[in-house]
Amino acid sequence: MADSKQMPDNRVVVDFNQHTPEYRAEFPQVGHAIREACPVAWSPNNGGYWVVTGHDQLTELAKRHDLVSNHRDSDGTKPGYDGISIPSREGAYAGFLEMDPPELLDYRKVLNPFLSPAAVKMWAPLIEDVNRACIDDVIESGRVDFVDDIANITPAVLTMAMLGLPLADWVVYCEPAHAQVYTPPTSPDFERVIQGSMAMAARLAECVAEIRVDPKPGMIKALVDAEFSGRRLPDEGIIGTCALLIGGGFDTTTSLLAASLDWLDTRPAERQRLLHEEGLIDTATEEFVRYFTPAQGGGRTITQDCEVAGFEFKQLDRVFLSYALCNHDPAVFPDPDEILLDRWPNRHAAFGMGVHRCIGSNLARMGFKIMLTQILERMPDYRIQGDGVVQYESIGVINGYQHVPATFTPGRRLGAGVEEALVDWQGRIDVGEVWS
Amino acid sequence: MKVRVEESVCQGHTLCALAAPEVFALRDEDGHAYVIVDQLSPNLEVQARKAAAGCPERAILIDE
Repeated sequence: MADSKQMPDNRVVVDFNQHTPEYRAEFPQVGHAIREACPVAWSPNNGGYWVVTGHDQLTELAKRHDLVSNHRDSDGTKPGYDGISIPSREGAYAGFLEMDPPELLDYRKVLNPFLSPAAVKMWAPLIEDVNRACIDDVIESGRVDFVDDIANITPAVLTMAMLGLPLADWVVYCEPAHAQVYTPPTSPDFERVIQGSMAMAARLAECVAEIRVDPKPGMIKALVDAEFSGRRLPDEGIIGTCALLIGGGFDTTTSLLAASLDWLDTRPAERQRLLHEEGLIDTATEEFVRYFTPAQGGGRTITQDCEVAGFEFKQLDRVFLSYALCNHDPAVFPDPDEILLDRWPNRHAAFGMGVHRCIGSNLARMGFKIMLTQILERMPDYRIQGDGVVQYESIGVINGYQHVPATFTPGRRLGAGVEEALVDWQGRIDVGEVWS
Repeated sequence: MKVRVEESVCQGHTLCALAAPEVFALRDEDGHAYVIVDQLSPNLEVQARKAAAGCPERAILIDE
């Protein structure tokens, strides 16, 4: 089936929708059924779109950014280009993730130097200390919610620091940033969530204006200062990019950590292996990212009638590149539904493919490893309270959790709590100790 | 055996440097990979092949 050409008039039609409870319950199985029908199949749901579940097909499509566009029409000049959300939606524009080259490349050129493997190392002390403080706030009680008390906080504070925003403001963005990904488009709450996302963008617009006047170091300042042959980046692109970095920075590592802790709940031997086997945390991180695929996929728009990866597409067709389902393609990943901590090769698409490779991937890996290691060291016997676990209502955007409560044998504090730690780090940032 | 990174294909997934840290380094500005050795010892050849097999973008080319 995978090799046969599918013309639009004999396309394989499947009943697929990544926002449903059935998908949430067992997305790998949903994916296998669709892939067996056809690795590039047509779903009539959400306005009609192709769903890509074959890893080879996804790799090819993702490389063809000339034919497969991320662009979102924000000014009425390219109708039908609906960006990365399926179904299409109002609300905050996702910055350079809803742009194509060459426009996209300007933003990445400005931000890559903050996010390369070498650059992210300067943030390890902040991540270690803030995460230590999160743990200290609960360590004496023997009770924790891994999402509310740890995974929501550390990545969010780090994102604030890197943008150049006040660290304490992580709270302001936390709820809208998570709600905008977990609320299904059919929910009665969706309109309120979109309003929250617009309010977040409005607040970010104020922050960008403030940084123009009072230039605090960070990624916002770099975007504001950037100049390409005398041309500046437009405000809309900068504000959308801030919203993107907050969404990407807040929600993905959070989800990965929660899902991994859930998997490790009943696996004490694996916890010990992760702490003591040299190098295992590195391959295991890739494997957790593959298996859970926090960012499940992205919408695209076909720019012209074309044939890619053996399939024919029409101009303005919508396409969902399902990183999650491609990451469970048995043709590329033997035993795809097993977590093998030392899996190699592991050519997963969890950080995307092609020019849109997750710009925060290096930060995500480092932050995840620090957070997971600290939890395994300081709460070695944690057990998750299964009846309190709340998965996102829709995992079609981000495969995450709202709550993962657990109990463990209480331990001793090592230092100050989060509130004090944030005051301390804000002070260090303000006197210029942190940015090198 | 020779190994090289196709610059236009590499997107900075960094997995080659995980598999073969003595063969590949990552650029400070964007994390894209480059080869740091001229001659591959048998041990490094094994590393390089492991990296090539694990590159998501298939950006590592091996000339036998």
